[in-house]
Amino acid sequence: MITVTINGKLARAKEGEMLLVVLRREKIDIPALCHHEAVEPYGACRLCMVEITKKEWDGWKNMVTSCLYPAADGLIIQTHTTDLIELRKTILDLYLARCPNTPEIQELAAQYGVNQTSYEQVADPNDCILCGLCTRICDRMGFSAISAVNRGHGREIAPPLKEAPPDCVGCLACALNCPTNYIKYTDIGHIREIWGRKFELLRDARTGQPTIAREFAEYLSKHRNIRQDYFEQNDESHRKETALGLGKIAIWSREVPQ
Amino acid sequence: MNSRFIVTPILCTGCRTCELACSFTHAKDGKVGRSRIYPLDGGFKDLYVPVVCLQCEDPACVKSCLVDAIYFNENTGAYEINTEICVRCMACVAACPFGCSLFDTQQNLVIKCDLCGGDPVCAHFCPTKALTYKPIAI
Ligand code: SF4
Ligand code: FES
Repeated sequence: MITVTINGKLARAKEGEMLLVVLRREKIDIPALCHHEAVEPYGACRLCMVEITKKEWDGWKNMVTSCLYPAADGLIIQTHTTDLIELRKTILDLYLARCPNTPEIQELAAQYGVNQTSYEQVADPNDCILCGLCTRICDRMGFSAISAVNRGHGREIAPPLKEAPPDCVGCLACALNCPTNYIKYTDIGHIREIWGRKFELLRDARTGQPTIAREFAEYLSKHRNIRQDYFEQNDESHRKETALGLGKIAIWSREVPQ
Repeated sequence: MNSRFIVTPILCTGCRTCELACSFTHAKDGKVGRSRIYPLDGGFKDLYVPVVCLQCEDPACVKSCLVDAIYFNENTGAYEINTEICVRCMACVAACPFGCSLFDTQQNLVIKCDLCGGDPVCAHFCPTKALTYKPIAI
């Protein structure tokens, strides 16, 4: 365990864990759009910047992305200096130029007092901030079905050749964790559609309610050695069946002379 | 940590006190949580079974989690979900053959029994001792 100072208060941290994790634990409200504990930090959104210094740095300070900066003993961290607030404002201002209609960005910007961008708005607004969280999560899940394509102005997240991605299993991990809800999907009856590909959702045998996508279940049963029929029951049916099974055993063991 | 839930359905009256105890214990932001324990119909007259995570060996939830969000807590003997790591893919919810990995719609989180840090509150509240949590010899 090491000690750091956050906005004047001492806090304990593990050596090497990222500052953002420490800040979150200390309940410091710091915006961070591209961070997720399931994947390696990436430093794309730049909103989690903090100011750091140390006693022995002779007044020298630095601004770093807290999601990418490992905690070290004696680090003195400021999270809301005027400079930092100005910096976050500028970044949010830029985001608003790209994503003027994105509620998540609007809200965050409003918190920092930016209600309208001072830059020229892009002609084709887009909810995606290119933080790459979806592709990193998809890689982490082991599917790598989507990736960032093109460079510069034309950069976007897409499946290979922009066709229905063959490696996608319809798990929704990308869509559910996208900080701006850019990735759209629909679940209609037992059909899920995402990235232009349709998936059949397995049915709970008792109620017919959808569980997970067939491709996802097949992947899990093949690579993780889980019986595929487990996925053909939802959690409620599993519990009901468990109760009936244990009930039977209970009655049986009462009737059998001990 | 060789304690286990001991479930004795014959003693369970289906009073659902364990469920209440769980909900209150896992309350957050002033709202009761979703219970991790379910006293359910055991299929015979007046027979109920409290269904709760039994902290399996080699559990399906852990096997199904592709981002390793579920891990064994050595101190408590519980498999816990790190909700910061969880990507809400629902694999574990569908995979657990006992239905003890749950989706909490209110909090938008996947949850399971965490043994309340090693001393499950539900067991303390069971009035008939149908549910106890005791050290057992393995
Ligand atoms: S829902 Fe969360 S804990 Fe469950 S398998 Fe998916 S990522 Fe892992
Ligand atoms: S969370 Fe650190 S740069 Fe996005």
